[in-house]
Amino acid sequence: MKPGKLAGLISSNLRRNRKNLVFSSVGIVVGISSFVFFIALGNGVKRVVATEIFPVEANRIKVVARTAQFGSMAAGRIIDDEAIGKLGRLTGVKDVYPRMKLAFLATSSLDGRNISPAALGLMAKIPGINRSMVDGVRGIRMWLEIMGNGVDPRLVKGDLVAGEFKDMPEDQPIPVLLSKRMIEIYNTSFAKARSLPQITTMVIPFLPPVPLTLNNSFISHGTRGQPLKTNMKIVGLSHHAIMGGISIPLETARKYNRRFKGEQAAHTYDAAIVEVTSSDYLGRVQQAVRGMGFDIDISERRMAESVGLVVTLVTLGFTLISLIIVGIAAVSIAHTFFMIIYERKREIGLLRAVGATRADIRGIILGEAAFIGVLGGAVGIGLGYGFCRLVDWFVTHFLPDFPFKPESFFTYPAWLFFGAIGFAIMFCALGAFFPAHRAATMDPASALTGR
Amino acid sequence: MIHFERVNRVYGKGTAGTPALREVSLDVAPGAFVTVVGTSGSGKTTMLNIVGGLDTDYDGKVVVAERELKSLGDRQLSRFRNETVGFVFQHFNLLEHLNALQNVTLPAFFSGEDEDQARERAEQVLGRVGLSDKLDKLPGQLSGGQKQRVAIARAIFSRPRLILADEPTGNLDTRTGAQVIELFESLNGDDGLTVVAVTHEEFLFKNAGQAVHLEDGRVMGAAS
Repeated sequence: MKPGKLAGLISSNLRRNRKNLVFSSVGIVVGISSFVFFIALGNGVKRVVATEIFPVEANRIKVVARTAQFGSMAAGRIIDDEAIGKLGRLTGVKDVYPRMKLAFLATSSLDGRNISPAALGLMAKIPGINRSMVDGVRGIRMWLEIMGNGVDPRLVKGDLVAGEFKDMPEDQPIPVLLSKRMIEIYNTSFAKARSLPQITTMVIPFLPPVPLTLNNSFISHGTRGQPLKTNMKIVGLSHHAIMGGISIPLETARKYNRRFKGEQAAHTYDAAIVEVTSSDYLGRVQQAVRGMGFDIDISERRMAESVGLVVTLVTLGFTLISLIIVGIAAVSIAHTFFMIIYERKREIGLLRAVGATRADIRGIILGEAAFIGVLGGAVGIGLGYGFCRLVDWFVTHFLPDFPFKPESFFTYPAWLFFGAIGFAIMFCALGAFFPAHRAATMDPASALTGR
Repeated sequence: MIHFERVNRVYGKGTAGTPALREVSLDVAPGAFVTVVGTSGSGKTTMLNIVGGLDTDYDGKVVVAERELKSLGDRQLSRFRNETVGFVFQHFNLLEHLNALQNVTLPAFFSGEDEDQARERAEQVLGRVGLSDKLDKLPGQLSGGQKQRVAIARAIFSRPRLILADEPTGNLDTRTGAQVIELFESLNGDDGLTVVAVTHEEFLFKNAGQAVHLEDGRVMGAAS
């Protein structure tokens, strides 16, 4: 039978049994909508974990100096310029971005009363910042011990929103990057509780420089030489910035490490980010790095994988429930089709009498089931998607802010929609398989007499 | 056209089986008009189903239009029913959700024939049975006689060589039944179709050339 004619027969048959089929496809609609909802939710949560909480870069590894271990007397090598050069020459390595810890102590003290009225006035004009927040800034009395590191500007060039990230003359503020994760926690809990403005990429360009004293500590006497009073200016937020501290340009860190701690501190790195040309080289490079006496820091990656695994398992659980619903719907569809076939017995006999083959009869029944699958799947996708939007709307409007609260909890990969339709068709066809087989193998002579 | 050689058909299996046809041997020439008569349960419909390729669960040899039916697979048998045989039933067996024209073109769904061509021919055959003005009527809007004429139009739509009619007048009043029989006579006489009609009302088929009497599954006599 030609596909066009088959479609014609299917559509006229479906119109006849509209009520029964709509009723039996309810399960498909519910199952597919929950399938779409849970998969989109699982993907959305995994996306937030992988991009916001524990960002993992597939082609980069973090190399650290090996710590002395029990059973091994030999400490690992330090990461110096020579080691950086060697890492860069490994096969498959595209680039190496060294990271240097600030070897000296530093402090910052901020008195809101010292912020110029002009700066506060400018701040008040930023959307989302109200008068009470500006008053909150005026009320700040803050003394901080500062930890920090120097990062390679090439690594963070995409994170800058207010000026350059490079070593500046000493009379100008030191550009600093703050950790995205740290600022997220500050914005959603610390700032809110204290009526302070949130630090966003929109606000950063308007923030005034903050006093910074290098080679200084409020609590320790371990510093040598004179403290250096300067300022720092936040220029962006980065996942590469240190958590609970500031990240400054590598050359600035080198400069001040040399001044306060000597030449060796200016050429010793606490870590290096190694970027490979392709993830195919990852294993080989990791092996070579270990062979050089260094370790790979996989704590972030492991954390992301652990959280990802939990999310995947929970998603799988819910997906299984969705599929069970669709499976039960398939049983209901099977029941409906058995009923329909019983009612259409004479008709099937007639179709066989005018030339329908067994395959034609099977095709008609399975075609009807597939059509219900497409329709039920499409409605289920619409319903699931609508429910996702509803949840996002509810969370945006009614739930308080919390760290890493995303704009949307859901991610909709294209395969999800095709997969949902595919599942719906598959389960409907499965449900109709035995009825179709029974109809196709029915004895036409008996069917015609209704026996 | 039809050759039956020692055909047996038993419903059910083993000793509990009920014989429907016993050692039936029969020949029908091309262009013949045959009535099959007999009491209820004598095997008339079974015989018709076997001739039409609807039932192949028999013993013996059946050759229809030069084809030995038992040797045909499902696809070939379906094609045989589509092209060679036209069925007319006592209960019309029209699809209630399709109009007269769509009911008539039903065989074209399975023959792969072009839709426009099929529609054109369906209009012709409906004209032939006197229903040119009822093309878009649903079976529910037609009288018993009109329904049977639509069924006859469907039976001749594929230009078959053989018409098999099972109690075609059983659900019609005498006058309408006579009109339907006239139609069969015309198809036999004018178009040269072989007609085999199972009936209880032998008296209506005055012009049938051959009558086969079945009794308890056996041919009791074939009169010309």
